[in-house]
Amino acid sequence: MAMRQTPLTCSGHTRPVVDLAFSGITPYGYFLISACKDGKPMLRQGDTGDWIGTFLGHKGAVWGATLNKDATKAATAAADFTAKVWDAVSGDELMTLAHKHIVKTVDFTQDSNYLLTGGQDKLLRIYDLNKPEAEPKEISGHTSGIKKALWCSEDKQILSADDKTVRLWDHATMTEVKSLNFNMSVSSMEYIPEGEILVITYGRSIAFHSAVSLEPIKSFEAPATINSASLHPEKEFLVAGGEDFKLYKYDYNSGEELESYKGHFGPIHCVRFSPDGELYASGSEDGTLRLWQTVVGKTYGLWKCVLPEEDSGELAKPKIGFPETAEEDVMFSSISIFSFSPQHA
Amino acid sequence: MQSLPIIPVPVPVLRLPRGPDGFSRGFAPDGRRTILRPEVGEGRIQDPPESQEQRARAVLRERYLRSLLAMVGHPVSFTLHEGVHVTAQFGATDLDVANFYVSQLQTPIGVQAEALLRCSDIISYSFKL
Repeated sequence: MAMRQTPLTCSGHTRPVVDLAFSGITPYGYFLISACKDGKPMLRQGDTGDWIGTFLGHKGAVWGATLNKDATKAATAAADFTAKVWDAVSGDELMTLAHKHIVKTVDFTQDSNYLLTGGQDKLLRIYDLNKPEAEPKEISGHTSGIKKALWCSEDKQILSADDKTVRLWDHATMTEVKSLNFNMSVSSMEYIPEGEILVITYGRSIAFHSAVSLEPIKSFEAPATINSASLHPEKEFLVAGGEDFKLYKYDYNSGEELESYKGHFGPIHCVRFSPDGELYASGSEDGTLRLWQTVVGKTYGLWKCVLPEEDSGELAKPKIGFPETAEEDVMFSSISIFSFSPQHA
Repeated sequence: MQSLPIIPVPVPVLRLPRGPDGFSRGFAPDGRRTILRPEVGEGRIQDPPESQEQRARAVLRERYLRSLLAMVGHPVSFTLHEGVHVTAQFGATDLDVANFYVSQLQTPIGVQAEALLRCSDIISYSFKL
C-alpha cells in the first residue's frame, strides 16, 4: 500500500523559526534546538519532537542556535546584540556575550571549550568559555554582515559566509586561507565533518564544496529559491527548502528529485537531517517546526508502521490514526475532518 | 455513504509531539535527564494498558473532533490576542489542529475571502449550533 508522509508538527513557537540544530547522539537520545523571532529558543527531544524546555532571557529575535555534541550546552545568537551560552540540561543561562551589533550565528568547538560568533558588525569572535572575562579573539576581513560561521577540519579552521562570499580561515594564524565569491546572496551553509563537505545554498542552487580547499564537488538546481539544505549523514540524500513552501529531497549521487512535500504555510528558513539520518526537521516563516521521515512508513520515533492485518480489506477507506484514540467510529469521523484540511486539498 | 477516493495512506503516528505547557520554562526540575528506554527507535513501542484516564481522554477527544465537524460552514466568533475579535465561516482544520481554515473573515479593516488562523493565536471561539 502506498504510504504518504505524515510530518510531525512541533508547537510552541509563535513567530518564524529561522534556525535549528541537532546535537550528536547521546545516551539520552539526541536533541533539537530551534531559534525563533519570538526570542524564545526551544529544546526538544530529537526523535519525537517533544518539548523539553525554553531558554528564556533574550530581549530580541534569536537568529542562530546550536548545541554542543553531547547536548550539555546550548548557544544562541540574537538581535539584542548578545550571544548567550546555556546549560542545556537545566535551562539556566551560563554566559552572556555582549556584541556591538546583531549576532547571527554561533558554533561550539568539538570539545565545547570555544564559541565562535558572527554577526552584522562583520567580525568573527572566538570566546574561550573557560575564561569568561577575557576579551575574545577577533577576525576581521568580511565586507558585509556575517550570516553563518562554523568550525571545521577538527576546529583548526573556520568557515564563514557573508552576503555573497564564503571564506576559509586558519584558526592558528587567524588569517584567510581562501574565499569563494557568488553572484547571488548565500542563504545558508552546512559543514559535514565526515568527508569534509561544505553545503552552500544561493539562489536556486545547492552547491557542494570541499571544506578543506573550497573546490566545487557538484551542484543541484531547485525549482525555487532555496533558503537551506542538508546532506544525509550517509551521503545518500539531500533535502532542501525555500521560498515556495516546499521541501525537496534529492538523490545525492544521481541528482534525481525523489520527493517533494507541501505542508508548511510559509517559506522554509532552515532544514537539517538528524544525526542518525532517520528524519529531517524544517523551520518556517509559518511559525512551526516540522519533522519528516527520511524513509516514509518506517517505524521510528512517533511514526508507526502499518501491519498487514491492519489494512486488509480496507483499500477503499484511508485509515488515519488519530493520537490518543483507537476507536473505529472516531477514525471514521476523522476522515471527514481530514478531507477538509487545506494542506491536502 | 459517498464513496471515498483511494488515496495513499498517511503514515500513522502514535501521538503528536508534546508542546510547551504554557506556564513553565520546562527542563527537568533536578536538572537530570532520563535515559531512553532501549526500545525507542527500535521496533514497536508497546501500547500501555488502557487506563481510566486514557478512556476519559479518548471521550474528550472524540467530543472535540465532533464539535469541529459541527462547526463546518457556520459563522464562528474568535477571540484573539491583543483584544481582537473576528468572525468567519469555519471550513476546516489540519491534522494537528494547528491552523483553522476560514472564509469570509470579517476583520476591523475589511473582509478577507479566505484565511488561515493560527490556533496558537486564538484564545477562545464560539458558534451557534
